[in-house]
Amino acid sequence: MKNQTPDQTGDLTEAMRLALLRADPALSRFDPLPRILSFDNFARGHCGWSQLVGNYEDDLDTMLPGYAQHTSAMLSTLAHWDAGSHGGMDSSYALKIATRPVAGARNVAIKRHTFRKRGPIRFEIYFTFKPEANTLKLSETDVRSVGLLFDLQGGDQDGNNDRVMPHLRFLNALDGQHLQKWQYKRETERITPIGTDNKTISHYHLSPEGWVDLPGGSQRLCYNEIPTKVNWTYLCFDFDLATMTALGLRCNDRSFDLSGFDSIRIPAMKNLWCMLNFGLFAETDVAKRAFLYVDSICISGDF
Amino acid sequence: MLPENITAVVSRNERWRGEAASEPYEAGWAREAIFFVRALKQPVGPIATAWVEVSPDGMHWLREGTEFPMPKERDAVAMARLAHFGNWLRVAARFDSGAECTVLVTLHLKA
Repeated sequence: MKNQTPDQTGDLTEAMRLALLRADPALSRFDPLPRILSFDNFARGHCGWSQLVGNYEDDLDTMLPGYAQHTSAMLSTLAHWDAGSHGGMDSSYALKIATRPVAGARNVAIKRHTFRKRGPIRFEIYFTFKPEANTLKLSETDVRSVGLLFDLQGGDQDGNNDRVMPHLRFLNALDGQHLQKWQYKRETERITPIGTDNKTISHYHLSPEGWVDLPGGSQRLCYNEIPTKVNWTYLCFDFDLATMTALGLRCNDRSFDLSGFDSIRIPAMKNLWCMLNFGLFAETDVAKRAFLYVDSICISGDF
Repeated sequence: MLPENITAVVSRNERWRGEAASEPYEAGWAREAIFFVRALKQPVGPIATAWVEVSPDGMHWLREGTEFPMPKERDAVAMARLAHFGNWLRVAARFDSGAECTVLVTLHLKA
């Protein structure tokens, strides 16, 4: 065998990696970076997606109202009254994040990791959203938005440090207007001390205020023709933990320029070093439950 | 592989009065379920009766048949065990005028 240069060895390694990925029916529809942190297929359970619970001390009444509304995500076959179970892409199950039936209500599921190295992270999901099908109407403006967030903080030896929280949402509708555009957020609500021990604070980073349109971020997604027909949509968000900047956003056939994107940035907190959290959320625009369904998630990194 | 099980918090620190119910939860993958209802504060007024409801679609609800008294004092816990429930589950209760209970409702599911 001839000696190979490092470049040739690297090319061969990458070609083999891609060949293995593309031959794997579970991973072939993803474009993961070299290391897969987690691959969530909800026929295997909740895969670590839990309820985002608010902070409190002594009494649950100290929890901010935005968090108090959250409930646990569930495993769903997307069972509909008129057509039965819709199912996922290659199993019966999807993760379902459901709001309460109150206009403006929101629910968030979260997965909590830490990172080993500050480098690129890729978050890929197949998702869809619908309102509760309790009227015989198209209901295309009932879901306000679905979105994702990361909650990040550097290592304890990294020097000057922020807690960085990139937020993205697909604003489907607002006050009945069908807007269909991607937005991001740079501001959270004021930080509120919780309790009396000076150990816990809280801030509601998903408040309705402060969302900004992503330039060029209009996109018409496949909604289908009645509220019980759903189609799975691909989303990929790239973020660099080294520079704490967003690198890219792709949704189906569209790729968006994130040069104007920024994250919520607040001072580092004393208990959150190397934090690598991922959140998914749904918001309803009307007094009807909104459902975000997620078929599968692949989180990968280059480290 | 171990069988799936999950603890879901379906109502947390909710002040139940009048007609009350937990948010719908899909549990079709589970063979057994237990609802626990804990009173987070001292209940007020007559102790209400709670019951389990099932649904074909998460929107139309009917009684499954299991009933139980709500917890009588702060930190007391009531429960309902279920082994045949289809997909959708919730707990409902009706309180007399002036009665209330602040609840933590958790649902424990096992495949």
